[in-house]
Amino acid sequence: MTSENLLTRPLIAEKLTLGCPLLDRCLGGGLPCCSITELVAESSCGKTQFCLQLALSASSLYLHTEFPFPFRRLHQLSQAFRSSHANLVAINPWEDVYVDAVHNAHQMLDIMPKIESFIESEKPRLPVRLIVIDSIAALFRTEFNNTPLDLKRRSSLFFKISGKLKSLANRFRSAVVVTNQVVDFMGASDGANGVKVGNFGSLHSLGRRVCPALGLAWANCVNSRVFLSRNEMVVGERVSFTFVGQSIKEVFLA
Amino acid sequence: MEVGRLPISASLRGKLISAGYTTFASLSSLSHSDLARDLKIPESEALEILKAASLNCGLDKPDKSNVIVNGAQTAWEMLHEEQSFPRITTSSSDLDNILGGGINCKEVTEIGGLPGIGKTQMGIQLAVNVQIPVDLGGLGGKAVYVDTEGSFMVERALQIAKASIVEMSNYTELLKKKNRVCQVDIQPTDILDNIFYFRICTYTEQIALINYLDKFILEHKDVKIVIVDSVTFHFRQDFEDLALRTRLLGGMALKLMNLAKKYNLAVVIFNQATTKYVEGSFQLSLALGDSWSHCCTNRVILHWNGDERNAYLDKSPSLRSASASFSVTSEGIRNSASNHKRIKLM
Repeated sequence: MTSENLLTRPLIAEKLTLGCPLLDRCLGGGLPCCSITELVAESSCGKTQFCLQLALSASSLYLHTEFPFPFRRLHQLSQAFRSSHANLVAINPWEDVYVDAVHNAHQMLDIMPKIESFIESEKPRLPVRLIVIDSIAALFRTEFNNTPLDLKRRSSLFFKISGKLKSLANRFRSAVVVTNQVVDFMGASDGANGVKVGNFGSLHSLGRRVCPALGLAWANCVNSRVFLSRNEMVVGERVSFTFVGQSIKEVFLA
Repeated sequence: MEVGRLPISASLRGKLISAGYTTFASLSSLSHSDLARDLKIPESEALEILKAASLNCGLDKPDKSNVIVNGAQTAWEMLHEEQSFPRITTSSSDLDNILGGGINCKEVTEIGGLPGIGKTQMGIQLAVNVQIPVDLGGLGGKAVYVDTEGSFMVERALQIAKASIVEMSNYTELLKKKNRVCQVDIQPTDILDNIFYFRICTYTEQIALINYLDKFILEHKDVKIVIVDSVTFHFRQDFEDLALRTRLLGGMALKLMNLAKKYNLAVVIFNQATTKYVEGSFQLSLALGDSWSHCCTNRVILHWNGDERNAYLDKSPSLRSASASFSVTSEGIRNSASNHKRIKLM
């Protein structure tokens, strides 16, 4: 076993651009490689759109758990992507996106070795640098009851899946993006017994106090968390992005 | 026979052996009057024998002590030793105060908290602060950083290192005004160079690494802190046999404690927070269970107090429980900026 010399790594970590320079600047360049970033949002806030766009900006593996997969939208975005990047004349960006469906958490764990051998193999044209799981919450929705034993089983699955994803991210120097849903926030967040995760006591979306789904155990499994929210708009578009995790800032885009 | 090595006359040696003293250990904690009585020789000769014996086996102990048995120390000597070793600052003076000056060497400190509270930030800050040169009151050592979660970012470490160098140069300016000269010529990349970084992905790798650290530190004697961030992650996967998990964790804790004592370095381990069902309600506690909570010397719990980050010293052999607030800034861990934490004395 040898220690890694930190100076052999790039001094500024490789980042995956989000496509918007303002957002990239907030995140210090984009989503970092070799770590898991979680996108948390209420439904129809734009998580899947974000993920589709991210998938196009790199050779990526897209694992979807909600059906159907928006193939037409991907195609549409791909055309737009191609026209805005002049160097991609002969290539279709959507040919570098590999899509697969996952139905439950145990299957997710089972396909990890297959994912690893796929990325290692000659099949992808370019090295796969992004793995997207959209969404992780859907994987755990059906099979777990609210009993302590089931919740314990669920927690151990969190750590197993997250551990494998992190080792994949580390081995192939790729970014992993996971999307999550929100649940309503109940209870206190203050004091030593309050479960406040991240810098903001509670997050707000469409006038409700919300917090990310899957609880405290899953929160320990991700490296960064990005919260997307949507406010009721009166005139014009107003979307706010709140960043929780490694870099903490709040940005309002008018 | 050990006493055969002593530079004394043959007749004295013969008397020693016939009285039953064949090893140096048997001569330890013996006063010269007792020896003189046993061997029926004058006290001065007995004194000489004891001196020769202590010289022979005290050769690798630069600080002279009257005890020949290796490893035994008086509490007085231990106090002196402890006081002479500087502690590793956390860069927040409030936090240092409740820790009695900072993180102590020869001890295992466990720091735990919710995700996003600043554990990794604390780890990076300590890995940088251990390198503060001795002239400026630091340890001038290197750091071993064991990353199990992948949360260490080089650019953040670089950012903290740069801020630390600025603080060090400010301090040297201050010392210059008081006519004390010391040079600080460190570059941020030098600081990164002195952090030995290990990334591990499974619990077996984690155990193997901690076993290997003994050999590693033998080759790199200037390592003064070992940071494990976090020790919990790989152990929260399903262990069908919980007893096995407890044994593995106990073994790991023991090895870390031995590392700390043997090489006189600080060991800081980070833990995650979880909820425990206690007395009918869910309370926050640190992961890995009750048996793990006995394994560390000190425990610090990081938690939120409104919008402020607080550190609570939960377990310590010599300090009382206290709480202090701190903040995470672009320069690293610093004192919190709020004013109402200060109590005004009338």
